[in-house]
Amino acid sequence: MLSSQRNKLLCETGPGTPMGELLRRYWQPIAGVSEFERQDTKAVRVMGEDLVLYRDREGNYGLVDRHCPHRRADLAYGFTEGRGLRCNYHGWLFDHDGACLHQPFEETRHPEGAFRDKVRIKAYPVAAKAGLLWAYMGPRPAPLLPDWDRFHSRGYKQIAISEIPCNWFQCQENSIDPVHFEWLHDNWSMTLRGTGGPRAPAHTRLGFDEFDYGFVYRRVRTDTTEAHELWTTGRVCLWPNCLYVGHFEWRVPIDDTSTLSVGWFIDELPGDAPFEQERIPCWQAPIRDEKTGRWIDTHVMNQDFVAWVGQGPIADRTLEHLGESDRGVIILRKRMFDEMAAVAAGRDPLGTIRDPAVNDHVYLPIIGGLNRPARGDGPQPFAFLAGQPGEVRGEHEQAWQQCAAAPAAR
Amino acid sequence: MAAVRRRARGALTVTGTVAGNGTGPAADPDSCELAEARGYGLTAGDLRRWEPLTAIQIHWARKHGLSAGEARRWAREGVGARDAVRAARLRMAPEQVRPWAAAGFPPGDAVEAAEAGMTLADAIAWRGAGFILPDAALLVRDGWTLAEAAAARFAGVDRYASAGR
Repeated sequence: MLSSQRNKLLCETGPGTPMGELLRRYWQPIAGVSEFERQDTKAVRVMGEDLVLYRDREGNYGLVDRHCPHRRADLAYGFTEGRGLRCNYHGWLFDHDGACLHQPFEETRHPEGAFRDKVRIKAYPVAAKAGLLWAYMGPRPAPLLPDWDRFHSRGYKQIAISEIPCNWFQCQENSIDPVHFEWLHDNWSMTLRGTGGPRAPAHTRLGFDEFDYGFVYRRVRTDTTEAHELWTTGRVCLWPNCLYVGHFEWRVPIDDTSTLSVGWFIDELPGDAPFEQERIPCWQAPIRDEKTGRWIDTHVMNQDFVAWVGQGPIADRTLEHLGESDRGVIILRKRMFDEMAAVAAGRDPLGTIRDPAVNDHVYLPIIGGLNRPARGDGPQPFAFLAGQPGEVRGEHEQAWQQCAAAPAAR
Repeated sequence: MAAVRRRARGALTVTGTVAGNGTGPAADPDSCELAEARGYGLTAGDLRRWEPLTAIQIHWARKHGLSAGEARRWAREGVGARDAVRAARLRMAPEQVRPWAAAGFPPGDAVEAAEAGMTLADAIAWRGAGFILPDAALLVRDGWTLAEAAAARFAGVDRYASAGR
């Protein structure tokens, strides 16, 4: 249970809020690189800030204020040029650093003037990595964009994005809540499918460890022992707003009542011949069943979404009754309070990387190891989210067949 | 695709029994353990020297200046490296968690309580009202009394509850 003031501290991420200040110290994934094959601009809202993400003709990505500083026109309808984004209203041009490069009529009337030097637009750095576009919205210098070792694994990769109509923190609490898996994903799934039989193996013990990039949660169930990797290795609540279980699930605040779920997935491929994926597809995963109007409940992450949205736009933690299964959630909250205080005191918070020597294939614990063998019976149906496009499924199958047919590399 | 390892590392913190205390022969780490150890910048020798702690616990203990001997002493009391580091900061001794364990608390709760300035009697009272220790500790640090917290958590349940529940 928390006071309403404490709850607000965890949930509010707008500019100047303690949590907003904390989350702005980290690179946040906000879109897929492949989305810019079909468009030059995309309106985005991140932590309550309305912005435009764009790619100019020189290949620079920019993230600037949604509204032109001239007369506040919508730059999502602007157009890109060799360098920068031009407003469609009066043609003012801005680059990805926020500089105003051109003001057509002003420069016609006052060729000697430098009005453009007196105008800037809010701009944040953007970087592309692992098929994602990442934004850094905090004070400079920015830390390094983490080079997680999993990004380099061999396999077929895809990205799926969904908008979840609830606060980000109840999504992230799910990342350190082992017992929900037994009920939300196992027992509820069995109920939905109408399959009889015994309940899923029950949790009997939980453990939590901390490391440089978050927490590891460990579990023993009635069908496992302390020798099982669910206990010895565990799974990662990746700081500050991600779950890592071999794939990544970021929960990026759009604003205080909506969250961008960004999933980065990898499927192992057969054999060991080199496999290079030219592009990582990014698709939008629906969360509502259009026929019934209910939330989709058939896939693992969709089931999570049902739980999160069900907690309300912002979970009211003044009324909760925490039990033994919630120890991880409390650890997470405490660390959040500590790290908000660290930022307020002018310190770098947990998990920021500034040393390039450290930022090379950064290790994250993973059950089964980093280079797991592919299953022998062909590509598996995508289990995490409903709505995978047929073309993505087709690409995956094609990659599988290509690798299965390739001669062994060693 | 999880695997079962040849042995249960970190067993001390699980059972409170001595599964390997660094004085007897240590089992060789398996390939998964070695890969994990490398990830944390550790060697097979480190795993043997710190037996039976896991790689992540060794990493955390070393990072915070806890020796293998100290980590093992805490582990024997059922306190993992994360809580042991916090306990060391508070200058606690491993034996101090025994009354807590005897009262049915996870031993690490003694550290949580110490950080919040709670006594064992406080903790038992909060537990009696249905608050697990870490939840209670966070509330105590925020200045809540048990009576206030107990009343607040039922505020939305029964508006007409009799006074003094």
